[in-house]
Amino acid sequence: MTDIRQIKNTSVYPSETTSVWRITFAPLVWALHFAISYGATALVCAKGGQVGALRLGLGGVTAVALLAIIWLAWRAWRHWDIVRDRDWENDAGTNEDRHQFLGHAAFLLAIISFIGVAYVSLPPLLIQTCQ
Amino acid sequence: MYPIFTIVHRTRRSFLSLGRTALHWCKWTFRRRAWFILPALFLVSACEGRQSVLDPSGADARRLYDLALVLFVGAAVLWLLVGGLFVYVTRINPRAMSRRAAEALIIGGGVIFPVVLLGGLLIYSLPLMSAQRSAPDGMRIHVTAEQWWWRVEYELPDGSRVTSANELRLPVGQRTGLVLNAQNVIHALWIPALGGKADMIPGRETYLSFLPEKVGIFRGQCAEFCGASHALMAFEAVTMTPDAFAEWLDAQAKDALVPETPAAIRGAEVFAREGCGACHTVRGTPATGLVGPDLTHVGGRVSLGAGILGVTIDDFANWLGHTDALKPEVDMPTYDFLSQDDLIALAAYLEGLK
Amino acid sequence: MTGRRSLPLPQGPFPPTEEMLAQPVPEAEQKRGADQLRAAWKTPTGWRYWSAVNNSEVGTWYSLTALTFMLIAGLLALAMRVQLAFPDSTFLDADRFNQFFTMHGSAMMFLFAVPMFEAISILLLPAFLGARDMPFPRLSAYGYWCFLIGGCFVLGSLLFDAAPKAGWFMYPPLATKEDGIGPDIWLLGLSFIEVASIAAAVELIVGALKCRPPGMRVNVMPLYAWYVMVVGGMILFAFPPLIAGDFLFELERSFDWPFFDPTRGGDPILWQHLFWIFGHPEVYIVFLPSIAIASMIVPTVARRPIVGYSWIVLSAVGTGFLSFGLWVHHMFTTGLPQISLGFFSAASEAVVIPTGIQLFAFVATLMVGRVKMSLPMLWIAGALAIFVAGGLTGVMLAIVPFNWQVHDTYFIVAHLHYTLFGGMVFPVLAWVYYFYPFLRKKLLSETLGRWAFWLIFTGFNVTFLPMHLTGLKGMPRRVFTYPESSGWGWLNLISTIGAFVIAAGFAVFLYDLLRPKKDQPQIPRNPWGAGTLEFSHEVPAEAWGVRSVPYIHSRYPLWDQPKLVERMDAGRFYLQDAPDHQRETIVTSVIDGTPMYVQRVTGPAWITLLAAGFTGGAFIFPTFHIYTPAIISGAFAIVCVLYWLWTSTARPPKDDLREAGLGLRLPTYASGPDSVGWWAMWITMLGDATAFASLIFGFFFYWTARPDFPPAGADHAIGVWVVAAGVLLVAAWASTVAAREANSRGRIIIARTALLVAPILALAGAAAAYMAVRQMDPTSHVYPAIMWALMIWLVAHVLAGVIMQGYCLAGSVWGKLTDKYDADLRNVTLYWHFMALKAVTTAVILGLVPGWLS
Repeated sequence: MTDIRQIKNTSVYPSETTSVWRITFAPLVWALHFAISYGATALVCAKGGQVGALRLGLGGVTAVALLAIIWLAWRAWRHWDIVRDRDWENDAGTNEDRHQFLGHAAFLLAIISFIGVAYVSLPPLLIQTCQ
Repeated sequence: MYPIFTIVHRTRRSFLSLGRTALHWCKWTFRRRAWFILPALFLVSACEGRQSVLDPSGADARRLYDLALVLFVGAAVLWLLVGGLFVYVTRINPRAMSRRAAEALIIGGGVIFPVVLLGGLLIYSLPLMSAQRSAPDGMRIHVTAEQWWWRVEYELPDGSRVTSANELRLPVGQRTGLVLNAQNVIHALWIPALGGKADMIPGRETYLSFLPEKVGIFRGQCAEFCGASHALMAFEAVTMTPDAFAEWLDAQAKDALVPETPAAIRGAEVFAREGCGACHTVRGTPATGLVGPDLTHVGGRVSLGAGILGVTIDDFANWLGHTDALKPEVDMPTYDFLSQDDLIALAAYLEGLK
Repeated sequence: MTGRRSLPLPQGPFPPTEEMLAQPVPEAEQKRGADQLRAAWKTPTGWRYWSAVNNSEVGTWYSLTALTFMLIAGLLALAMRVQLAFPDSTFLDADRFNQFFTMHGSAMMFLFAVPMFEAISILLLPAFLGARDMPFPRLSAYGYWCFLIGGCFVLGSLLFDAAPKAGWFMYPPLATKEDGIGPDIWLLGLSFIEVASIAAAVELIVGALKCRPPGMRVNVMPLYAWYVMVVGGMILFAFPPLIAGDFLFELERSFDWPFFDPTRGGDPILWQHLFWIFGHPEVYIVFLPSIAIASMIVPTVARRPIVGYSWIVLSAVGTGFLSFGLWVHHMFTTGLPQISLGFFSAASEAVVIPTGIQLFAFVATLMVGRVKMSLPMLWIAGALAIFVAGGLTGVMLAIVPFNWQVHDTYFIVAHLHYTLFGGMVFPVLAWVYYFYPFLRKKLLSETLGRWAFWLIFTGFNVTFLPMHLTGLKGMPRRVFTYPESSGWGWLNLISTIGAFVIAAGFAVFLYDLLRPKKDQPQIPRNPWGAGTLEFSHEVPAEAWGVRSVPYIHSRYPLWDQPKLVERMDAGRFYLQDAPDHQRETIVTSVIDGTPMYVQRVTGPAWITLLAAGFTGGAFIFPTFHIYTPAIISGAFAIVCVLYWLWTSTARPPKDDLREAGLGLRLPTYASGPDSVGWWAMWITMLGDATAFASLIFGFFFYWTARPDFPPAGADHAIGVWVVAAGVLLVAAWASTVAAREANSRGRIIIARTALLVAPILALAGAAAAYMAVRQMDPTSHVYPAIMWALMIWLVAHVLAGVIMQGYCLAGSVWGKLTDKYDADLRNVTLYWHFMALKAVTTAVILGLVPGWLS
């Protein structure tokens, strides 16, 4: 019998009160990348800046965003721990499954965010003018 | 309340006309023993029209038509695949299948396949935007949308402008630029047969260009809701050979014809007496109003009232006598208080302004 | 835990062991608990019934009202279809047609789609989570009454021929210039409802995060709860931009401040941005809950757990994010730079991927399971067929050049109805068929259900499939008539016939829903063999929801946890009695569902109805430009809300700990981040900050869009006053924080002094903000107008903050707030954290930014 007062201290994964937020980090990178892309383009096109420089700059932002997402994905992958236990569902009411589930969800969200960033990087790559 | 028998009658009429058309196709195919053509014919007939995306007559519209075909075929195939899969797992083979296959389905069907497909689609479609926004190699036309008509100004090489209204004339084989603006509220200019649309926004300038490929008369219409008579804000786009266009433009630049028939002369007097010139311009006369459409060559246009009537004397008389009924909430007053003779005379005068 | 000395921590064993659960509950104990609970949860009878606040009552009223509004909006659509059946028809004139299509769209979106989600969630979320009720029942009731009053007001305008007629999107300048009160009705009436929606969203998020049963960790909670969190979050970030837009819009309508008037520096496009930043997530706010319903039905039909739970969570969260990057695809024709359009085209394609994953997860579940088709599943299948078609046309529309052709044509009408019927109407109908036994303990007719399905499904496709072609053949949307020569006649006639078939289907459905079922036997418990908690409810129904709140460690507890229902019924689990005859629910931790405390839940009250009535007055009188009664109503509304908070929330409890069952002793009071009230405040503040950010976006938008912003030689805000406002408001914040700290250390006198000083500083700060912009003329140009708007926004929030400080001071004086029971003060301090941020930002925008820009 475990006393409820011990739960916080004996948890194997003690630092996880914030981990439900952590799954949103990769989509937040996507959102940031999107906002920067949109804002910078609006600014440069409205105030008459260099479109070439804009496209180059956005390429840089995209590279940083993609790297950040890859890093988040790698961390989430380790959380998920699929290679060791081959558990795809993580559906038990245990600390370990909850921990791995959040890793799994974060990993999948990182994939989607990666695709999102890659798609959003296409317009400056393919379109040369502000018009 | 709408009388019910009228509805019945009109339903019958609609179906009769549909039936007649169908019968016509059937006879045609029977004569040629070309049964396989029937569905195709139906489709072709369903597509034709002067205001149809599916009957392109400009370079931009044609490119978008090709794009649309690709999209439609793709969508239909995908819909059948997904639907088929669903029917298969629920009806044809509702037994339990392997988990591995199910997961592969999520990863393959939900991630890999769409990522590749949509990525390809983006790479194909993003560069297609630029054509319709490219600079003209022909002239520039300024179109200002009003409630509910179009002010059209052709910019000559020397920078001066020839004003017209409710009709767009474009030379074939040249890319013409349209500089769009609006007076009071937002509108949108759309000629489906020539290309995509663009909004016309007060305080902003938008831009569109067309490259017509065929001579013809196409219908354009306002596509952004702009108030009571939004439905009645159309126009005709007339594409002409470059020579014919140049000739026409020269004629447009000239002052109005002087009325010659007695009715037209009397009509010109009514026009002056009723103060029509406060709102309308007829170049070469004291009428210089700028509120309403320029009438200098109104009789030479294809339509009246922004694409809702023809340009016979009867049409003019109808318009003048029933303005508000024909176009609800329009600014122009209804001249139903004129005597019938005055009305016809005024109509004759306007009709004569070729 | 924050380790506060005074409030006790939970004590006792957790999680319960099998031996503990296996012990029988004595008969007498069972009866005692049941009697107490029955007394505490008794639904008021007679005319007092309308004072009920219980989620099952409010949820039922809510969903029936939303359904009624939907039927009215549907009738408007039928009238429009009759008008369009033939060319040059005169059934409706232009003016009435425009009112009808405006109200059809507005009502379907604001009075049906979003409220229906809230109604369903209020009704079901506690059941999914084995909770007794929502955390703030009176807030749900208040939201419902606001919705009813606002909805009747907005729809009622049709009867007086005064309805808005500028389209549900209300584009200025058309809508700002429109004569009459139509646009005001739209703006104020719907803002009123939006506020209610946000209230519901706050409650639902808190419900899903904090009111789960003990042991229900995030990885085992029902998918519906995930969706509720995501959708709640989306409402929180999507509605505030619209509210900010409404605020600017109404200022232009009422006081001629030129936000959207290009002749004085304004820009109509700003409204389009604000509207669609709301409008596109809105589509997903409508769609995700419907998918959530499907995710509850599909496992039951497949008779096995959902495949790819994590994938579905990913797609819900991913869609929630991506849906905020799509809004410009409603504005592809406004002439924005090609690259900008490209971003939104790309994001619009990207959002297809999570949506696709969602659908494939369902198909995968059906594949792995042994499918047993049922009537609800038939509706889900119909939804899938229709939604996939709508999604595919959505992929086309995201392609900018294609969009340029079909934007604002009947192709769009077809597309959006395919997505909304498939993504909303069909799943909601599936919901009705699936959950009717849960709600009324009777079944709907299988035969009538199939008739309704095939009529609606066929009618739908007959109506909307041809519209794709109608649009491609050039027919624009929102036209009240078209000429015979257009060749659109036969297509429109087919659509109209289809519309009547849909109507017939709905008639069958309604008859089935409303026909008396007295002679019909009650259903057995869990008639579909579902695995989730909602079907553990007793037959015949009991008002308490669950007899005892179970310990849950599985995604499908009814399948996986043996003897669960039996033990729940016996009162073996938590909160099996109500010793004080009070309504209670258990609050757990966000991630792991560890029990934290027992929350007292409010019972029946008239005050919510009264508060909603006065709030209605505050929104409705300004429609007619009558301001004094509006202000009086507003004041009364505030008084009502204060009375309701004072009498029923965060009161010091009789005992600090309560025997919660299974040897667990839980606190009865919580303060700060442990408490649901704190979370509600935090979430509300996020939404409020979003509205504020939208105004700031407006400021910078004018700067990028207009060459004359700020105009040369314009009056600017007076620097001294701006600095004074910033400093005074930060001081007011500091004083509030000081009060909280002093109070928790037992220095009551210092705390009270600080609470007395803080409002004075705050009011002085508000006055300084007013002085800073006083000499600017807001009707002359958009620059002074937006400065004034920011000032008004700030001052209004300061006034709310002052009322809160006063409330805490009064609480301290009259013993509601002590050093131990300080939840109110902690919540108010949280409000002031955001307030300080807003004050500093506003000061920077007012005082510094114009200098940097010019």
